[in-house]
Amino acid sequence: MSLETSLREIARKLLEEGQVDVIIGYEKGSLPLQTTPCFIDDADDVDRLVWNESCGNNLAKYLVDRKDKAGVVAKGCDARSIVMLVVEKQVERDKVVIIGVPCSGIIDRRKIVETLEGREMLEATIKGDKVVVNVEGSEEVFAKEQFLCESCQTCEHRNAPIYDVFVGEKAKETKSMGETSLSELEKMTASERWSFFKRELGKCIRCYACREVCPLCYCEECFVDQTMPSWLGKTDDESEVMFYHVTRALHLAGRCVDCGACSRACPMGINLRNLNRRVEKRVKELYNYEAGLSFEETPPLATFKLNDPQEFIK
Amino acid sequence: MKGKTILKERLPDFIDELIRENLVFAPVKRENITCFDEISASDEVHLNLQNTKKPSKDVLLPKCEPLLLFEAKDKKVEVKEPKISDARRILFGIRPCEARGFNVFDKAFTSDEFKDVYYMKRRENAIVIGMACLKPSPTCFCTSVGGSPFSREGSDLLLVDLGDRYFVDVITEKGEEVIEKTRLFKDAEKRDIDAAEKAAKEAEASIKTRIRLEGIQDKLSKMFDDPSWDDLHQKCVGCGVCTFLCPTCYCFDIVDESYGFEMRRVRVWDTCQFPLFTQQASGVNPRPSGKERMRQRIMHKFSYFPEVHGEIACIGCGRCIRECPVNFDIREVLKSIM
Repeated sequence: MSLETSLREIARKLLEEGQVDVIIGYEKGSLPLQTTPCFIDDADDVDRLVWNESCGNNLAKYLVDRKDKAGVVAKGCDARSIVMLVVEKQVERDKVVIIGVPCSGIIDRRKIVETLEGREMLEATIKGDKVVVNVEGSEEVFAKEQFLCESCQTCEHRNAPIYDVFVGEKAKETKSMGETSLSELEKMTASERWSFFKRELGKCIRCYACREVCPLCYCEECFVDQTMPSWLGKTDDESEVMFYHVTRALHLAGRCVDCGACSRACPMGINLRNLNRRVEKRVKELYNYEAGLSFEETPPLATFKLNDPQEFIK
Repeated sequence: MKGKTILKERLPDFIDELIRENLVFAPVKRENITCFDEISASDEVHLNLQNTKKPSKDVLLPKCEPLLLFEAKDKKVEVKEPKISDARRILFGIRPCEARGFNVFDKAFTSDEFKDVYYMKRRENAIVIGMACLKPSPTCFCTSVGGSPFSREGSDLLLVDLGDRYFVDVITEKGEEVIEKTRLFKDAEKRDIDAAEKAAKEAEASIKTRIRLEGIQDKLSKMFDDPSWDDLHQKCVGCGVCTFLCPTCYCFDIVDESYGFEMRRVRVWDTCQFPLFTQQASGVNPRPSGKERMRQRIMHKFSYFPEVHGEIACIGCGRCIRECPVNFDIREVLKSIM
């Protein structure tokens, strides 16, 4: 049985038996290599569900504030986000059924679009480790690995660490293929990094897509939107834009699961992960903590231990 | 059809001539982002881009625009008006859909009721040189909203790529003046006109998405409380991608910002997709959730704007479809309404 067939059967059963009110999953999108989130509350509609390498959205986003009980299709990173939402008491554990899916990495369609330099991608199919793209009528073949999202290249949790039901066999866990842009950044001097971030964040149009797709950005009112007092101006002033991105990255410290949703969502192609990933690396080094792997462990920035490392505040 | 032609190899000369006397904005790549920006030489121009990622709207409606400047000095506040540039702006190589889009801005900013001097000054000094679309994208649906890949509406000149030369459709007097200033053009022959007409037909036929929108305004006017919005909005995450990249979205906010003793009152792009857009000082927000905000975007474009101005405020360029992080496709919404 194909993974999609098993997924649909599981979804059907959950809905028919009343174990969930809705299945949050992916269905075919309107662009090549793009799926779109779907909300299925009728067992007759489960055949809309798909599972493939273009299921990029982190669906944990849709769990906060839901009154009903939802079954969520979850890659490793999505499931880790759900764990964080439970740990942070935003989602009740018994209100969500985690449907784990084996993930071998998501394709970054923007990278393919960029490679085509204005030529139109009309269709695309994934065949094994190849992506076959119909570019304005002619076929071009790309290696899937080359177009994986950066967060998928360093991923070491391809399967949901915690789940209620798993679709098919688990994906083979792999070691990180190595940081690409982050290791370059780490080699830079502080002033080089400063100019790098000034240039990168200078592209920001303040659409807040990074915040809106992030499952852990659930603040009822983001500091950006507060008006009494107003913390942040609304112009494209460099310092305002940076203030937003840096504050967001710091607020996610020890909470970010590196799903890469922010980078994928940015219409200007800003690799926001450069900020978050760096912060997560520090959290790992200092506290040996990775977000979203356990319900029991308290996130390091939500607790205090006498033997916490303190060099960084000297 | 009155027309001219210019050899392709001479087009850079034409652009450079324009640059000498005007501010010229054209499709370029900046930091790997395709957009419209001021150019200083013809070799910066990319004419093979279909629709640029960022539209040209900020040429006439900047993302941030100071409206007033204040300075506190010796216990007095001095108020200064920023100078509005009266330089002639040429929008070179813009797609016919976007050229039509400026008509939406004109209706909003230059009506008898409201005149926006800042916009009007730039608009009066603008010359639009369009580039007809030979290969519309799969996400293009201009013909469903009253446009076409060769639409002349909003352009002063319209260029059509005929291989080794461009056919130039001279649409307005403003356009004619531009042509008269240079010797690079010659009168079009019948074969040029025929070739341009053939290309227009082919381009129009290549558009796959056809949505019949007759009567959408009436339909929507009865759909404010329709339960279908509950389903439709679900996947929308409420970011500002669709509206900020939309060539016809013009909503703005006005804010005061201070830097030490200097202050400025700035107009900034705003979006109906953000909760703050309708947040009232009393604490009440009449559009409290994503449902109302997503509905507003559709209603404004396809019901309210047509009701007030007699025209749909969408040009079918497909940017909102291509860039939406969750693939919220406005074509699907329109189909479900119709």
